[in-house]
Amino acid sequence: MMRAFATFRNSGAMIVLVVTYAVFSVAAPSFFGLQNLLDITHVISPMIIVATGMALVVMSGKLDISVGSIAYVASAVFALIMRNGSLSVPAAVVASTAAGVGLGCVNAAIVVGLRVNSLIATLGTMIAFRGLGLFMTDGGLIVLPERVKSLGNVAIGPLYVDTIIALAILFAVQLLHRRTTLGRQLTAIGNNEEVARRIGIPVDRRTCVTLLISGAFAAIAGVIYTLQVGVNTAKIGDGMEFTAVAAVVVGGVSLFGGRGNILVSVILGSLIFQIIRSGLQQVGADPYSYRLVEGVVIFIAMYADALKTGHVDSVGGRLFRKS
Amino acid sequence: MRAISKAFPGVVALDRAELRASFGRVTALVGANGAGKSTLMNILGGIVVRDSGEILVAGAEVALRTPIESLQAGIGFVQQELNSLPTMSISENIFIDAFPLKFGGIDYRECNRRSQVLLQRLGAKLDPSATVGELSVGDRQLVEIARALRRDPKLLIFDEPTSSLSRRERERLFEVIRGLRTEGVAIIYISHFLDEIFEISDDLVVMRNGRTVFSGEISSLNERELVRHMMGARENEAPLQKRRPADATELLRIESLSRGDVLKDVTLTLKAGEVVGLWGLLGAGRTELLRAIVGLDPIDKGVLSWNEAGRTMAIRPAELYRRAGFVTEDRRGEGLFLGMSVGDNIVMPNLRDISRLGLVRGNEQRRAAGAMITRLGIKVSAQEQKVSTLSGGNQQKVVFARWLASAPKLLLLDEPTRGLDVDAKTEILRLVNELADAGTAVLLVSSELEELTRACDRYLVIIRGQIVAELPAGATREELVNALSLTAGQEVAA
Repeated sequence: MMRAFATFRNSGAMIVLVVTYAVFSVAAPSFFGLQNLLDITHVISPMIIVATGMALVVMSGKLDISVGSIAYVASAVFALIMRNGSLSVPAAVVASTAAGVGLGCVNAAIVVGLRVNSLIATLGTMIAFRGLGLFMTDGGLIVLPERVKSLGNVAIGPLYVDTIIALAILFAVQLLHRRTTLGRQLTAIGNNEEVARRIGIPVDRRTCVTLLISGAFAAIAGVIYTLQVGVNTAKIGDGMEFTAVAAVVVGGVSLFGGRGNILVSVILGSLIFQIIRSGLQQVGADPYSYRLVEGVVIFIAMYADALKTGHVDSVGGRLFRKS
Repeated sequence: MRAISKAFPGVVALDRAELRASFGRVTALVGANGAGKSTLMNILGGIVVRDSGEILVAGAEVALRTPIESLQAGIGFVQQELNSLPTMSISENIFIDAFPLKFGGIDYRECNRRSQVLLQRLGAKLDPSATVGELSVGDRQLVEIARALRRDPKLLIFDEPTSSLSRRERERLFEVIRGLRTEGVAIIYISHFLDEIFEISDDLVVMRNGRTVFSGEISSLNERELVRHMMGARENEAPLQKRRPADATELLRIESLSRGDVLKDVTLTLKAGEVVGLWGLLGAGRTELLRAIVGLDPIDKGVLSWNEAGRTMAIRPAELYRRAGFVTEDRRGEGLFLGMSVGDNIVMPNLRDISRLGLVRGNEQRRAAGAMITRLGIKVSAQEQKVSTLSGGNQQKVVFARWLASAPKLLLLDEPTRGLDVDAKTEILRLVNELADAGTAVLLVSSELEELTRACDRYLVIIRGQIVAELPAGATREELVNALSLTAGQEVAA
């Protein structure tokens, strides 16, 4: 863990985080303060959970962009069970998570079984899974019953329960990544899949497990988000996959795999995006500008990553290189 | 290994090959390019599965269908390209497929301790927690050897381990290999460097065309005999009829071209309309020289002068590239657009000649491509046939068709007939000859002596990045083979 904190200090994302926080605190005095910070940790807990699963996938050199749609399907399963009233809340959570694992299985079957590139495979399932969710709900709203709604905002002391769940998952995955064979072998696969295969690492099995974990986490995030807003809508999880990838990479996990600290990256990345979002909100910026600003941050982070891993020579290298 | 055979689509890579390695001895495996060494070793490593034959390890037969099965059979493989995980630590690299565990997590203390023991056995002073990406190539290789040793292999294969090592690293590697031999490990050592083979090995296996042609103690033969085994003693086919231009002017002069350890002070001249054979073993710097001449690899120093329209001028490699044709064995990677038709591929570099107002004229294209197909005897059903469906020989002809159409002054050929059958080889050589008769200077690299002797007007002998001798057109196979072993012998002595 000590190493993790050292990475915190050395990270460029840390600087971005501090600067954006300072800028918005000056621009909107209401932004600064402990309560707002706690609210932010509440709002980003679904993002932290999705990004944690995504971090494992990216670490192994792959992508899973179906997580937003998986979150939507899980949300739909949860809301339908609640409306139906046949099962208790814990049972519904288990059922929704199982749905996420099932969809993760579909991804794994396509990526590992059919040897389809993970980006292409999950692009397809992203569309298909959302279609599945729309089919289940007829695309309409499903409002949660009042007694269930209140669960979304339960707090223990100053901390919201969903924040605690998110952090517990994140710390568990950090340990999994650093201290278990599965975690280290994922990193090895991210270094070079071909080499990993030759060394004798069970690449296919590891890839399957990662996609299942990613599916399960997306489902949990979907349920938590639904509890927070109290309603299942067709927009749930829309764009979540890209924010999750961006958060992970902005935080410092290499998009090319095998490099980065999951704990640090997920916290920094998720915080940066939410601080930009709620900061812009509080200074009263046009809501349509959020995506523009986020896009610029993503681009800068990706370019910095390419520089660090040597996929681009140097800043402006391509523009100014002599023939 | 007994009677191992393996056929790939279109080629028989191994034909009842045999190999025997003994505990506590180093067995060198040598053979020219394409002799089947790599295939044989990939079968041992479980990367390629054999068609027939049996493999016995310490008397027990093994199947070897996957790399894991091979590891379990006690076979370790240190491959030419390093299999390292650069972002991870040395101990993680060594134990990645079988970490020592404690309470369900990885026991890093144990991991580092055991890594330290393995590294000490190799005489390496490295910190097991250091990141592998920051190590030198030689140290990374030691990490891979340590990974192989972790399993206590009965047999350890080294595939061209010295190709990217410095001289000192190479000496250290030899120390390691000798140490392992003393410990009783059976070692198979593959190399193209004859001096290394005589320095390190006890036994020798020579392969040629997928067969084992020699097997025995290395002390029973000398370098000259070794090279003869590698090259074979097939009958010479008649040299090609040559009608070279009479007024041969000097076209290209290269002076003291150097690039790192790979090329050392190479000086040579090429005249218009002559075929010069660059003769040397794989790894001697043949390909590297061609690539350096046309600027595909950077050079440290060297002057190139080029004669154009009667004037001699200094020229940069990149400029030369625009004036020269370059054909390699890798037809797919460097030359052809596989998904496009034969016709499209042939006219590709000369589209401007058959266009009007920026549009390609279909009739002109058909005419130009058709003429070329007839001239080279490319076997196609129609111009529209995709290049990917052609045989290797016909694909290579399509590459040549391009260069014929643009008629370059200089043609650099790197193993242009690799993997082709005898007839296709002859036709390609005839084309080279035709181009030379028309005034093109050709620099030809080939591992096959008989190919060189049929086409070349003179030979340059290259060993370890240096041109060490020049032989005239009339040189016999004997003389060429001797040129390699004699000078290699001198280097060992020096």
